[in-house]
Amino acid sequence: MGKIKASSTAEYFAKNLQQVGFSSPIKAVLTTLKEAVDNSLDACEDAGIPPEIKVSIKKIGTGSTKSTDLIDIVIEDNGPGLEMDDLPKVFGEYLASSKFGKGQCSRGQQGIGISAATTWAQLTNAKGVKVLSKTKKMRKALSAQVDVDIKANKGKLKNKESVDWEKDHGLKVEFKIDGRVQLNGDGGLLTYLEGTALVNPHLTLEYELLDNSKVRVERVSEEVPKVPPPTLPHPHTMKLGEFITHAHLYNTVTLDVFLRKGFSRVTDNSIKDFIKTGMPKAFLTKRVQSIPDGDFKKIFQALQETELTNPSTRSVLIVGEEGLARSIQRLGDVDFFSVVTRRPTICDFKPVVVEVAIARFKDRSSNAEDEPVQLLRFANRVPLQFDKGGCAITRAVESVNWRSYGLNQPRRSLPLGPYIFAISVTSPFIKFKNASKETIDASDELVEELRLALMRAGQKLSRHIRRENKAADLERKIQHIEKFGPILVEGLAKISNASDSRKKKAEEGLEKLLGRDTKSALNDLVSAEEKLAVLKAKQRVKLGDMAQDEPEDSPEEDIIATTKKKVEAIINVKSSKKTVSKKTVASKDTTKKVVDKKTTKKASRKK
Amino acid sequence: MAKLKRPQKDIPKIAKNLCDGMLRDLESAKRPTLEAIKCSLDNAIYDPKVGYLTPGKKKVTTELNVSSVQKLARTVFMLDMMLNNVEMGSVNSTREFYYMTKGLVKSDPHLKPIDFDDQVESDAIIYYICDLLEVYREELNCFATDRGGQTYSQNLVVTESLPDGKKAVIDLSQMGTTPFQPKNQPQVFNLKPKKGKIDFCLVIESVSTANTFVHNGFTKRNNCILLGAQGVPSNGVRGWCKTIQDQLDCPIYFYGDLDAYTLQNIYRTLKAGSAASLIRNSDFSAPDVKFLGVLPEDIDKYDLHCYDVKERDAVEARSLKKARDVLSNDPFFKDKKNKNVADILRWLIKHKKRCEQQSIFSVNPKDPTMPERIILDKIKNKSYV
Repeated sequence: MGKIKASSTAEYFAKNLQQVGFSSPIKAVLTTLKEAVDNSLDACEDAGIPPEIKVSIKKIGTGSTKSTDLIDIVIEDNGPGLEMDDLPKVFGEYLASSKFGKGQCSRGQQGIGISAATTWAQLTNAKGVKVLSKTKKMRKALSAQVDVDIKANKGKLKNKESVDWEKDHGLKVEFKIDGRVQLNGDGGLLTYLEGTALVNPHLTLEYELLDNSKVRVERVSEEVPKVPPPTLPHPHTMKLGEFITHAHLYNTVTLDVFLRKGFSRVTDNSIKDFIKTGMPKAFLTKRVQSIPDGDFKKIFQALQETELTNPSTRSVLIVGEEGLARSIQRLGDVDFFSVVTRRPTICDFKPVVVEVAIARFKDRSSNAEDEPVQLLRFANRVPLQFDKGGCAITRAVESVNWRSYGLNQPRRSLPLGPYIFAISVTSPFIKFKNASKETIDASDELVEELRLALMRAGQKLSRHIRRENKAADLERKIQHIEKFGPILVEGLAKISNASDSRKKKAEEGLEKLLGRDTKSALNDLVSAEEKLAVLKAKQRVKLGDMAQDEPEDSPEEDIIATTKKKVEAIINVKSSKKTVSKKTVASKDTTKKVVDKKTTKKASRKK
Repeated sequence: MAKLKRPQKDIPKIAKNLCDGMLRDLESAKRPTLEAIKCSLDNAIYDPKVGYLTPGKKKVTTELNVSSVQKLARTVFMLDMMLNNVEMGSVNSTREFYYMTKGLVKSDPHLKPIDFDDQVESDAIIYYICDLLEVYREELNCFATDRGGQTYSQNLVVTESLPDGKKAVIDLSQMGTTPFQPKNQPQVFNLKPKKGKIDFCLVIESVSTANTFVHNGFTKRNNCILLGAQGVPSNGVRGWCKTIQDQLDCPIYFYGDLDAYTLQNIYRTLKAGSAASLIRNSDFSAPDVKFLGVLPEDIDKYDLHCYDVKERDAVEARSLKKARDVLSNDPFFKDKKNKNVADILRWLIKHKKRCEQQSIFSVNPKDPTMPERIILDKIKNKSYV
């Protein structure tokens, strides 16, 4: 038998980087970018600074490994910066984190990701990460290279120097790694950046990818989200080992005090219930340190047997419908959208909030009718870009009947069409399927919560689609009259040997009849338009000043005006013409009134 | 052209009246309304004295509006084309009609909007015209491919009236291994035994099994007619069975699989017609046909191999659902005269089993005449329903 020796955490990860997102050259670039941006966002939010992040990704040569390029990835933020002592810990040491096990909705949790990126750079390009950092206290910025000491799991600073940097504070990191760049598609860099912008309305993002020109996405919210403080753990979310470890933090107090102070949702009444379900009463007055480990099992079992109030939902962070609605407009020319933020709830004894944004973009509509929708998944505001199939979010989307909301959908699949479905799950305790945090585990409760949010968004979406269908129906009916009317009359006249005068009279009669049908289709369209106007008014109230940028004559209104003209031309009878004009004017007024009424109502509520 | 057995309607006159009425309505800006018999199970009536499914009072009403104008324009266009065929005495298949519409559309661009994307669309219009005028498709000189109906006998002579008025006499015993495959109307058949009376007619669901029987000498040893139906019987097979029943006065037995599909889609259609062809069941059903098997009791009696119907399997679960639906919705199976057949369906639902017609070949694989003996044994012992 060989000699047994212990390995460092860094050694383990250096040999298993595929477990944390470095399984291919394409994923390596994306994961490096993702880890750096996540850290920047978390740092800015912790310091209450509206984040402004600049990203640059360039191909600068050939990679050392086969079929790879040497990629230069630079991420610069305006965060608080890092002190010199912290640099090796953050970039060069595994499991060194300020957030580990805290139960907060922060993006980073374990302190693995960015150290793994440094390791990848070191393994593929023999150099770690180049860091430029400046805190408020520093007069000059600190420039250094951080390497991972793989044997010792420690970061090493190299080439330290003080340099001038025009920024008051911030951090700039540069990785030169072997990788390959994929811009679009599920695992694409653009998909990641757009997704990140979507769920972070307070983020200003500037990016320059390969030889493409620079893109700047301005923030649409000045409010920096405050990550809610963690709440005490709930007894039902723990396992026995965790319970014992947690208990030893309260060694000097009695069990009674530990249970009340060390957990959420444990009251005096709950303690009485613990006794009823088998916890010896005498334990309550004993100090925690004097309780033998064997007895902790009895206590733990009693806690699990007792019904307790669900944990608090105060620890979850919400992007909010307003933020999502504003943010989604940044991704392109939005045709229409619907956003839903569910109230925080408890799934599997963990607080969770689900948010959904569905949008259709004008510039993405071509050839996309038969393609599945683009699904953007988020966990704690971080895009999930791989292993879509096994994710709770995908399962929930596929289980909803989108046909009832007007979308095409093959059986048990994603719906089809030029839509973006952005679905965000936020929770201090998201259950991922793997260490690289790419897939959320699909528990029945979570899937159901996601479904409820999706169905609500679908209902909103269906108002747009219904209006479009009505407009298409009207257009189709108008076309039918023009196309089929003459053929029908001609055929009838031919079979019945009718004279030309009879034929002409029949043609006029047919036009009158079908004109009436078209009028009723027009009324349906106007009614659908009114309902949509109410929804849009609500959105405008949420968007506030952004709505003012919208052109007064929207394309939808153009379509209606054109079709109205066509209907009038078809009816072509003076008296009917008057009626139609009056009706349409009246309906336009009604639409305006409804919108005005709703806007005033909302505005007064806001006051 | 040969005369149809059924008194022929004056189709051009009916069509002209129909179109004239529609035109008159249009002249006065009134919506023309067309009524056709509703050909579906919920409008099917089964009277045991009549013996086949007849239409109820329900009608499908089509009123002219923007949604139906396309259908009506296509109907009038197709009707005009079919009337032309009737006047000229030429016949075409449904597929050919589809291509004829294509040709007309090509030659006249203003007809482009009524162009059919595929044959399903043009077929639907043809059937709509039949329901509207209450005529057979064949009366409009439109024919479909006739499947099945391969007939063998050593004692049957068929006299066929041909379209040109001449007659053809076919002695089936002189055809060697070639089966006689009767066409559908408008031909008229006159059937006569060569000598005496034919003992029975056996209709077998599978054509290949029927051929095996013939090859093994069934028709040589028995004074009978043997007919391979090939699944769901076509109009040709249905009309042919009706002719055999009416003209030869011999018992007709059907032998097929023991499952809900065979009982409803094949046996019931052969015996009492189908819901889709309510207006033509009188000429396309043979109410005297008996179900010879496979019967549930045959499974034990002959130790036949059968399959369990797995409810987890979507296709097989559908067959059970179909059996349940048939019992509650199909007037043929609901009638007490057909209680024995309905009992077979109940047995299928209860035991969740199915048995194929070829299973009788498992009884004694070394004896090729064993299946024949089983069939004859069943006929002799009146083991049928």
